[in-house]
Amino acid sequence: MDDRYVILVGRWVVLTLGVFWSAFPIFMVVSSSFKTHLDIFAVPPKFIFQPTFDNYVLLFREWPQFLDGLVNSMIITVGATVLTAITSLLAGYAYSRFHSRLLTLSAFFMILVRMLPPIVVTIPLFPAVNAMGLSDTHAILILLYAAFFVSLATWILKTFIDQIPRELEEAAEVEGSSVWQRLVRVVLPLSVHGMVAACVFVVVFAWNEYVFALIFTSNEAKTAPLILAEISGAIEGVQWGILFAAASVQLLPILAFVLLVQKFIVTGITAGAVKG
Amino acid sequence: MSTLILEGLSKNYGEVEALIGVDLNVGDGEFIVLVGPSGCGKSTLLRCIAGLEKQSAGDIRIDDRSITGVQTRDRNVAMVFQSYALFPHLTVAENIAFGLRIRRTDKSVIEERVAHAAGLLGLGELTGRYPRELSGGQRQRVAMGRAIVRDPVLFLFDEPLSNLDAKLRVQMRTEMKALRQRLGITSIYVTHDQDEAMTLADRIVVMNNGRIEQIGTPMELYDAPVNLFVAGFMGSPPMNFIELHRKGGNSGAQLETASGQPVPLPERGLSPGVRSVVLGVRPEGLRIDDGGPLKGTVEVVEPKGSETQVFVRLDDLHLLCVTAGKRATFQPGDPVGIAFDATESHLFDTDSGQKITTEKGTAA
Repeated sequence: MDDRYVILVGRWVVLTLGVFWSAFPIFMVVSSSFKTHLDIFAVPPKFIFQPTFDNYVLLFREWPQFLDGLVNSMIITVGATVLTAITSLLAGYAYSRFHSRLLTLSAFFMILVRMLPPIVVTIPLFPAVNAMGLSDTHAILILLYAAFFVSLATWILKTFIDQIPRELEEAAEVEGSSVWQRLVRVVLPLSVHGMVAACVFVVVFAWNEYVFALIFTSNEAKTAPLILAEISGAIEGVQWGILFAAASVQLLPILAFVLLVQKFIVTGITAGAVKG
Repeated sequence: MSTLILEGLSKNYGEVEALIGVDLNVGDGEFIVLVGPSGCGKSTLLRCIAGLEKQSAGDIRIDDRSITGVQTRDRNVAMVFQSYALFPHLTVAENIAFGLRIRRTDKSVIEERVAHAAGLLGLGELTGRYPRELSGGQRQRVAMGRAIVRDPVLFLFDEPLSNLDAKLRVQMRTEMKALRQRLGITSIYVTHDQDEAMTLADRIVVMNNGRIEQIGTPMELYDAPVNLFVAGFMGSPPMNFIELHRKGGNSGAQLETASGQPVPLPERGLSPGVRSVVLGVRPEGLRIDDGGPLKGTVEVVEPKGSETQVFVRLDDLHLLCVTAGKRATFQPGDPVGIAFDATESHLFDTDSGQKITTEKGTAA
């Protein structure tokens, strides 16, 4: 058999297995959210069934706080992502374009802190957060999540900014722009794909994060994963249909986000910047 | 329209001296071309004028006003980069309008000026395209458009044609010359291509190792180079150099090549202390003549269409290029004689490389 044919078939088999491995659990969660209690636990599993929206109706009737959790998660995720994007762009630009011993030292420190387990760095903050009145606010989780990812995002953006030819900035400078104008009009549009790549990490983390949300929120800023945990740990027993419906709703924004930004990630918009 | 004066301009990178005491006066509307080998400091000089590099010493004045402390963005100079440096996320029109937008120029004025510049450069149909959708020549034109649209006091060109293929380069060179004749803006143009320098420049500045070797019109540099470096750098194919040693007294036929061939230079009147010199003759100053004083063997024949370049081996050290007629029929291995007109030759000091001024005037 032709080697190329074998490679092609092999590639498709590996890809299919990979997709199945990743997508099957999601499929089971989402499909189960449309099943009755009996269908969920049917043996063998039912892949063809009469769908029902009862689980979703029950979810928002019996757990109205889940909606509040979603709103809180949305605010915190957007806040942390925007904060990370802005600070990482500025830091990435500084690390890419300027060089000094102090900058090298700060970069080393940033990576060092990132190497430590986040919980070790965060728990001691608890009294300080309380004293500042930041406990159970959106702000504390926005700050924490941004702080966790600013180092990674900075290095991603530094790498992207390194690839933007300096001559573009010099051309903009000769054309009369200030450093801020160059950053906004040249560097930012050309590092959008890097920024999106960095933001994917923050969005996924902030949307799903549980432990710090549990430590630093109690009521007002409680996020959706905490409510999910409450649903799964309800005193009256786990209502699996509702839990699957909640998990499906929790999944939806992340899926939408990844689908929305995938073209930014794969498009190399610096093509044509220089000769060639 | 502006004048530019450079006074004692120096630039050091640590121990490395990139520019050493450069003095230059550029007249209003003058087109100056900086030439020199890679690393000679020509691009550094251009970047100092633009403000992209800070000079270590000296002063830069535009219209007699020092711009040494002035930021790049406030110098109102325009620069065309070797890589074009077009903004890939902006269309042709947006690229051209970039500087005007930064200066918050009125929208109608921007549209009018962009349309004018695009028309001038033959980009009218392409204003909605992105740089990646353009050919090399079109990108180069966009870079030019971005430079001319702002009405700058000074144009700076950093090897703008070097990324184009040979044919397009010649075409763009002609277009650039026509454009500069129309606009008449004071310009500094950096290139390592001396053909480009000869065709475009009002005056050429030849640089080497951070210093200016010679300033002059293209023909002054070609006809009267002040030293071996300029003589060898200007002209393609380059000037032939033959090292000559002195035998006997201080009259006519005392100079001979390393292989002992006598070279008669009766009018030179070299000072008695000079024991060896370098004779420089351009290929078109030599002719193949069996009665000529230099004897050699044809090694390579290169027909160029309009002429033929014949490379003649004189001795182990010297391979001379001779421009012959377009139908020259020499074959490798042919023994030939070479003659030259002493008035078209130059003598240089072997040690210093400087042109020798003899008792009866310059060597040429």
